[in-house]
Amino acid sequence: MGVSGWFRFKGRSLFSWAFTFQRLTGVVLLIYLLAHLTYLSTLLDKTGATYESMIAITVSRQFLVFDILLVLCGVFHGVNGFRIILHEFGIAYEYRKPLLAIFTVIAVVVWLYASYIMYSLTGG
Amino acid sequence: MVRFKIRRYDGKKSYWQSFEVPARRGMTVLEALYYIKENYDSSLAFRASCRMGICGSCAMKINDKPRLACETQVLTLGNTVKVEPLDNFKVIKDLITEFDGFFEKHKAVKPYLIRKDDNYAEPKELLQSPEELNEYYVFTLCIKCGACYSVCPAAATLDECLGPAAMTAAYRFCADSRDEGQKERYEIASSSNGVWRCHLAMECSEVCPKNVEPAKAVQLLRRKTAFSILKSLLRW
Repeated sequence: MGVSGWFRFKGRSLFSWAFTFQRLTGVVLLIYLLAHLTYLSTLLDKTGATYESMIAITVSRQFLVFDILLVLCGVFHGVNGFRIILHEFGIAYEYRKPLLAIFTVIAVVVWLYASYIMYSLTGG
Repeated sequence: MVRFKIRRYDGKKSYWQSFEVPARRGMTVLEALYYIKENYDSSLAFRASCRMGICGSCAMKINDKPRLACETQVLTLGNTVKVEPLDNFKVIKDLITEFDGFFEKHKAVKPYLIRKDDNYAEPKELLQSPEELNEYYVFTLCIKCGACYSVCPAAATLDECLGPAAMTAAYRFCADSRDEGQKERYEIASSSNGVWRCHLAMECSEVCPKNVEPAKAVQLLRRKTAFSILKSLLRW
């Protein structure tokens, strides 16, 4: 079936949704990390002006939606990853359903709070 | 009348075919398939045996979810019932999938008691307390229907992946107080196609018709395997 097997939702439980979202956010974070490190390591301008100009774009109001989505990826991947680590080796397996709900709520609350802070910082 | 939309496969192409079935109270999807076979199309191929949820032969995707056709009531599914072969298996014909690889994986984990003192000429009674039995009992209920394997994302991307059913069988015997073959099974389970391939999507436990909870077995086997590796590293 291949990678398409990761994106099957029909008839699946919320665990499959969490798994797929974990994969997607992981790929997004990996691409971001590679782009981030590649950009930083190829900077030739010793004055820091190029870096500052790039940062000015990324913290702009127009870029806010991308920042918010990136934070969503980071927060969900981290919080859900912690839930998965908890279940590794069979710990709290019986509580997997309430834990999935709790950890998803935590991820959403943290994301909304972080988005609000970023929105405030960009002059919202 | 309930409309049955069945995914057919003739060896070359896959297509959908619909049939109207006069459903009645208590009718199972398996009975409906037999009705279709007897009244509309005798070429419809599906696998079934016990008709009572024991053999695991009739697992198929019913309304997008893997279920046993013999245990699924038609009237609980609405006016249209979609029937497809299981995912992650090669389709042979219509609803029949290739299970050879699945059973090979099951065999690979040595799903039987391994004893150092095996002597068939003089069999010995092996005592076990109810607590020891409870350690693995739930995992003995697996009927090898393949529902768990069909939703496993690790099996979707890697054909060689042992899958939840085989690893559950491995854990069932590793957790058995009478067994002495743990080391052999930990080696198999810790291979590149074993427990470390599990992504912990836990969908296998959600679809298991016998509530065996394969995801739990895989994680417990992972714990045992990790301790075994740690012990061997420390020469303990």
